[in-house]
Amino acid sequence: MIPARLHWPIGAVVVVVAALLPIVMSDFTVSQILTRSLILGIAAASLIFLASLGGWVSLAQIGLYGVAGFAVGNLAQADGGVKVFAMDMWLAALLAIIVTVVIGLIIGVVASRSEGIYFLMITLAFGVIIRLLFEKATDLSGFGGINQIIQPEVLGSAQLQPERIYWVCLVISVLVYLGVRYFARTPFGLAFQGIRDNAARMKALGYNVTLIRTIAFGIGAFVAALAGVLNVWWNTQISPGTIDIRPVIFLLMIAIIGGLYRIEGAWVGALIYVILDNRLRSIDLVGERVATALGIIFLLIVLLSPGGVMGILESLSSRWRRSDEPDQPAGDGDGTAAAVVAGD
Amino acid sequence: MASGVDSTVGGLNGVMARAPWRAGSIFLLAILGLSLLGIGIQAASDPTLFAQITLNGLTLAGLYFIVASGFTLIFGLMRVVNMAHGSFYMLGGIIAYLVQERMLNPDPTSFALPEATVTSFVVPLVVSMLSIALLGVVIQQVFLRWNQGQELRQALITIAISIIIADQAVAHFGGIAKEISVPVRKSIELPIVGMFGTMRLVMLLVAILVGVGLLLIISRTRFGMIVRAGVDDRHMVSALGVNIQRVFAAAFFLGALLAGLAGVLGGAVNSVNKSDDGKFLLISLVIVIVGGMGSLTGAAVGAVLLGLIDSYSDVYLPDAVTNYGVLLTFFLLVFVLAVRPYGLFGRAA
Amino acid sequence: MNVRDKRWGWLSAGLLIIIIGIVAAACGGSDSSSSSAADTAAADTAAADTAAAAGEKKIVMGFLSNCEGPFGPFWDATLAGYYTALVQFAGATPVDPADPKAGVTGAMVPGTDVAIELNTNYGCSDDKADKALSEAKRLVEQEGVNILIGPLSGDEGIAVANYAKTQPDVTFLNGISGAQDTTLKVQAPNFFRFFSDGAQWTAGLGAYAYNVLGWRNAVTIGDDYSFPYTQTAGFVSEFCSLGGKIDERIWPALGETDYSSYIAKLPDNVDGFFLDVGGTGTVQFVNQFTEVNGNDSLQGKVMGGAFISNPAIIKELGAKVEGVVAGSALPSDATDANWTAYSDAIKAAYPEMVGNAANIFLAGYYNNAQAAILGLQAVGGNIDDAAAFQAALAGVEIATGVGPVTVDANRNAVGPNYVVEVNAMGTKTLFTVEGVDQSFGGAFSADTPNPDRDNPECVAGNPPPWAASITK
Repeated sequence: MIPARLHWPIGAVVVVVAALLPIVMSDFTVSQILTRSLILGIAAASLIFLASLGGWVSLAQIGLYGVAGFAVGNLAQADGGVKVFAMDMWLAALLAIIVTVVIGLIIGVVASRSEGIYFLMITLAFGVIIRLLFEKATDLSGFGGINQIIQPEVLGSAQLQPERIYWVCLVISVLVYLGVRYFARTPFGLAFQGIRDNAARMKALGYNVTLIRTIAFGIGAFVAALAGVLNVWWNTQISPGTIDIRPVIFLLMIAIIGGLYRIEGAWVGALIYVILDNRLRSIDLVGERVATALGIIFLLIVLLSPGGVMGILESLSSRWRRSDEPDQPAGDGDGTAAAVVAGD
Repeated sequence: MASGVDSTVGGLNGVMARAPWRAGSIFLLAILGLSLLGIGIQAASDPTLFAQITLNGLTLAGLYFIVASGFTLIFGLMRVVNMAHGSFYMLGGIIAYLVQERMLNPDPTSFALPEATVTSFVVPLVVSMLSIALLGVVIQQVFLRWNQGQELRQALITIAISIIIADQAVAHFGGIAKEISVPVRKSIELPIVGMFGTMRLVMLLVAILVGVGLLLIISRTRFGMIVRAGVDDRHMVSALGVNIQRVFAAAFFLGALLAGLAGVLGGAVNSVNKSDDGKFLLISLVIVIVGGMGSLTGAAVGAVLLGLIDSYSDVYLPDAVTNYGVLLTFFLLVFVLAVRPYGLFGRAA
Repeated sequence: MNVRDKRWGWLSAGLLIIIIGIVAAACGGSDSSSSSAADTAAADTAAADTAAAAGEKKIVMGFLSNCEGPFGPFWDATLAGYYTALVQFAGATPVDPADPKAGVTGAMVPGTDVAIELNTNYGCSDDKADKALSEAKRLVEQEGVNILIGPLSGDEGIAVANYAKTQPDVTFLNGISGAQDTTLKVQAPNFFRFFSDGAQWTAGLGAYAYNVLGWRNAVTIGDDYSFPYTQTAGFVSEFCSLGGKIDERIWPALGETDYSSYIAKLPDNVDGFFLDVGGTGTVQFVNQFTEVNGNDSLQGKVMGGAFISNPAIIKELGAKVEGVVAGSALPSDATDANWTAYSDAIKAAYPEMVGNAANIFLAGYYNNAQAAILGLQAVGGNIDDAAAFQAALAGVEIATGVGPVTVDANRNAVGPNYVVEVNAMGTKTLFTVEGVDQSFGGAFSADTPNPDRDNPECVAGNPPPWAASITK
């Protein structure tokens, strides 16, 4: 779509503009629209990462995101959590990420032996079980959720200095984006994509397919954990409802809006979703039935454009551009996950 | 480049060899053995309680089976993961309740609810089952027929439909769980067990009939023959000139019908509850993953396992960990998938 | 099909444009509506100099409840409670008496000509704390609400009360959320609750069980989450303070729909059960309990909290719960002037809602909206000084509906509670327990552990002041 030589400059401009937004935007917009979009974007990136490079659609990402959030709440000082640890926030965040990755690896080890629709069902089942566990095990989730989770001091208060947590989320978003792009070009990343395209051949070449997939799932869990930690820093609370089936579906919707096969689509999709969620209510016809409206939009997108918004942009620009550019760089996973959606 | 990968990844090959799997399996088997032992000891100390709980679990499994059999039928034949299956279950109960309410026409000032007669139970049951079956066929024809084979996309479409149905149920159906009234005596005296809910036994009976009926349909009828062939090789079936579209529609009709039936029975035994859709979708998923996708026997075994785990863990787990009972389901999934990635009775697609 | 297929590209581009159009229209729409509201307000201010003198800050009242999730169906009832108070006390007129959503017009602070602007981009949560929090933020920070009525459920209340601390200039009045912590522990200076908490709704039950029914030991059964813990805490604290013993506390996991196994293991050798399985579970539990124990098995053996005394649940369970004694915050059979004024107000504003007078969701929003209006009246509609307004609010006494209600030092309601018996008409009030406070005569304080599976402990002594008045 856009000539490759312009990718870096455009990306840099987008990031700089995004970084300057808190100067012109109200605190509410920064916190409730922009920061929320970035956090959901990172969570969606973990889903798109697995979808674009691995051909997997995982519905366990919100569950893992919740594991990280609850782990932070329990390890650090917070109202409703297990108070015995009362760790330093950074240590708590680090341990929370480790715990999430370990659980991600356990799920990955069994889920990675399946493919396609089976994988979707299995990860959905795991995601729901994680939610049920936190809903029922009130030792871990507090009796009224975990509240007043303290942020690291350098961030100040999410309420009073919303721009600080916003910048942190922005930096992490950029790192996740670059990290995924980089990963796709590493030998490991190439092997992972090779398995997506033809697992049997990779096996025959001597690759340990299950191991590579499990580790990739663990990386996905890591990215989801980052989003989970940022979420509790930003929102200062988490309850089992945070990881209910609805958020699972809406995260999937974000990924679909963004197009399942382009990592930058994660943030585009998240921003569109957050704005829709914030604004649909003001339409008289929609009123309090926002979920119905979102469901209909989701349905239309899936029916009409499996490539999501990024797919739309791409097909538009390819019309204008015709074929004066070579295709996307190798290892981008371009189009393949869309083929997952669109079927074979 | 391939060799570079070899040196980083190939070198780790041994880690994932058979040994850890075996160790894991032994560990899980040991847990299973211990819990069976624990249940045995408890059973010996209070046989009446044990009999009651076991029967509770089995009757619950009956309900689970009826829901999951519809799910697995649709999946086995068409590879459609119907994420709206839980919504079908929920709607089945709601429709039956609304029809029954109209038929019984309760006096708003009176306290006692009118008792249902056979007619005022059977009519709502049939109306509800047929409406859900019809809804299933409409969804299949409008949304799924033209994108056959695009599994993920079909799943996403049914997810979107389930969101819409759930939100509309909140908007139009009251917040209190409702009960569908039944024309039978509430409970009967059983040997050993004592008083036991009649409808629960009926539910188990219906489940057995459904199971036998489905087996007969699948083994004896032309429809069943096509379904069996379709589960094995879809492409071959359509290549042979069978009107596969008609079979697909019929399968969706039957699958949705079963979800509706389960919804009505569940509404009579427990209650009609608008948040049941997610719960029964999860139950269907777990049963079908454990039992094997498309396998009727697998669905029955999965349902019994889940039903018994549900009721034993409510009672026999020590109080401190009762709330972690859901982890047993987690372990069940991990264990089965580790040993048999396609489920106990499943085969690779 | 392929995403690169041009046909689909154009179709989806069209879709995208439609979506962007809708969003843009929504933004534009809300802008224009708020600006027109501002115009109206400006016109009002210009017309009435006194109003401008009364206060510079416009009064914008917002509403936060649940329109999704398990309590979504109570959306209309909560709205009706909120608007009924505005109609009755602030002289507003319903736009559509058949549909509370449509709002009201012409709300004024009583005794002044200061208009109360009512935000109609309602906050809609789904029983989840983080949704309630983000909706509260939207109302306060985006919609400019400075008096917020809501939220509906316990966890939401705790989250919103914590948020209130960061917004001292905004005044929060609870909707109907019932967690003790919201006021007892969080103690936000600008969060008020003019309707009792979940534990207060069981005040009088422990004494009734001990003094009237003669129970000496009991078992409690409740869903495993904060609201039943709170309700059970009220019962346990009072029952034990008189010398009763709790043999066991059973907590079926939340979301359970099959209670049969729990019922199978209930002990036989106790005097009775305190039942607080709620939400959707009440109907299931009672049905399964009577399946095993017979149809009239509940009377004298089972007492309940606010779930059993809920008219909608009574209607659902019919004769099975007849004769069961339960705690209730509302006297549905009352005939006194306060109650009549309240139910007449509902009938006048929203005729279709008149059967909902004893609906706790409606009553909670009604009480709190009423308090907000009375508080505004006390400061003559001037909220420039939020602290002064909040101080005035703390001195408000509510009479109609469930009253008299005042608030304590933690800004939590002190008011009556009712011990009721379920009968064919709904409920019959057996005892009116006056002046129930959140602390149960000191049993609960900011330092006592949160109500949970094992707390409060069962300790004899120091019964609450009302316990002695409940006798045979």
